[in-house]
Amino acid sequence: MGMSTAYYLTLQGKRVLILEAGIFGAGASGACDDMILFQSKKPGINLELAFESLELYHALNVDLKHDLGFENYGGMVLIKDQKELEIMEEFVQQQRMYGLDVVMLDEKEMRKRQPHISSRFIASTYSPMDAQIDPFHVMYGFFHVAKNLGLEYRKKTPVVGIEKQGNGDFRITTQSGEVFEATQVVNAAGTWAGEIAAMVGENVPITPKRGQIIITEKIPMVGETNLWSAEYLVSKLRPEVKTEISEEHKALGLGFAFTRSFGGNYLIGSTREYAGFDTRTTMEGVNAIVKQAVSYIPLLKDIHFIRAIAGLRPSTPDGKMILGEHPDVPGFYTASGHEGDGISLAPITGKLLSDMMCGAPSDSRLEELSPVRFAVVKGEQVQ
Amino acid sequence: MSDEVKDPKDVLICRCEEVTLREIEQAIDEGFDTVNDVKRITRAGMGLCQGRSCSKVIARIIAQRTGKNIEELLQNSYRYPVRPEKFKIFDEEESHE
Repeated sequence: MGMSTAYYLTLQGKRVLILEAGIFGAGASGACDDMILFQSKKPGINLELAFESLELYHALNVDLKHDLGFENYGGMVLIKDQKELEIMEEFVQQQRMYGLDVVMLDEKEMRKRQPHISSRFIASTYSPMDAQIDPFHVMYGFFHVAKNLGLEYRKKTPVVGIEKQGNGDFRITTQSGEVFEATQVVNAAGTWAGEIAAMVGENVPITPKRGQIIITEKIPMVGETNLWSAEYLVSKLRPEVKTEISEEHKALGLGFAFTRSFGGNYLIGSTREYAGFDTRTTMEGVNAIVKQAVSYIPLLKDIHFIRAIAGLRPSTPDGKMILGEHPDVPGFYTASGHEGDGISLAPITGKLLSDMMCGAPSDSRLEELSPVRFAVVKGEQVQ
Repeated sequence: MSDEVKDPKDVLICRCEEVTLREIEQAIDEGFDTVNDVKRITRAGMGLCQGRSCSKVIARIIAQRTGKNIEELLQNSYRYPVRPEKFKIFDEEESHE
């Protein structure tokens, strides 16, 4: 979010300094899969913004003069029983009304596109829109152009203090004691955004949800599309419906995601765990992902996985990102809380935020994303 | 030999991902001056061997080019899997129990 916002701000002629606590892509960008996924999104602001973000990616692929690794394999959500089928049919109908190009496939059509999946699946969805992009190349593309427009970038420079001064400007102190002054500050610290907001007395409630992913060796295409399971989606859409998910998998928040990355490796995930700020992979998590993958696509048993990664999704209490200025601290903005949609929504987030900061007319759709919804009344204890 | 490298900058440092010395030096000159940074920009070390052979060479190139201490650049953490594993490994473990 930081790099995208910096890019759009420099385009509008702003002088931008990024203070990065770690290294390039050290947060969720470096630990995510690469999906611009539409099918997982409930109709509403997230789906709407994902459409706009995809348009921006098409433009960026040209404007950044850098290969972003954009691929458009489309995606299928695999369905294993009648109950899942009914719920997914209804969900697909809602998404279609919202403009998403998605259809249901019967078993025969499903197996035509995906001949290698387990015999237990009875149907699937299919959307040609699901796409993907390489997060490092996106960040690098933004960085390279923004740098030529004057962006200053400091890595390993954690911010330890932000103070609003009498003249309205901010005074930012880094761990090494350097001090910077700015008229506007963007809090794009991802999962750690709550910590930065607290420095100016604001409440940004972000809970880390850990995701573990395994990466395969380079292999030929497996079927025509990327794959997800309905099982996890259904458990989120209809928590009251009884599913056969084991307690262990529930605790791991295990869901199936199978995407071909820019380089020919597959990324297979993933978990959704509440593990605090712990970014380590676990044997339990890797084991569950591996076993699930083989049960979904049996031919994987002879394939190697070469790496396991983990990262933290920044989640919010209402599942929507936090985007905009904090009314009580004019000039202080937050862009965080995208949970699993960071890559999908990075361009549109940066574009909308830079427009806000440069005084563009306000967009009424964005009111529901404003940090004001979590503002704490003065005198109340921040949770 | 027709495959002979004419320009020493075209020599492959990461053979799995086919990353040349030139690409690695360009990344370093842009400020990506750790093994991890170079990996993120060039894919060097992301391949089948996961940097087992090239990461030391890359650390040395960075040290030579930036004057950094080589000891600080060498990676000291490894995480599972330390080498490629077959997916069926977990099933086999259980059948031996």
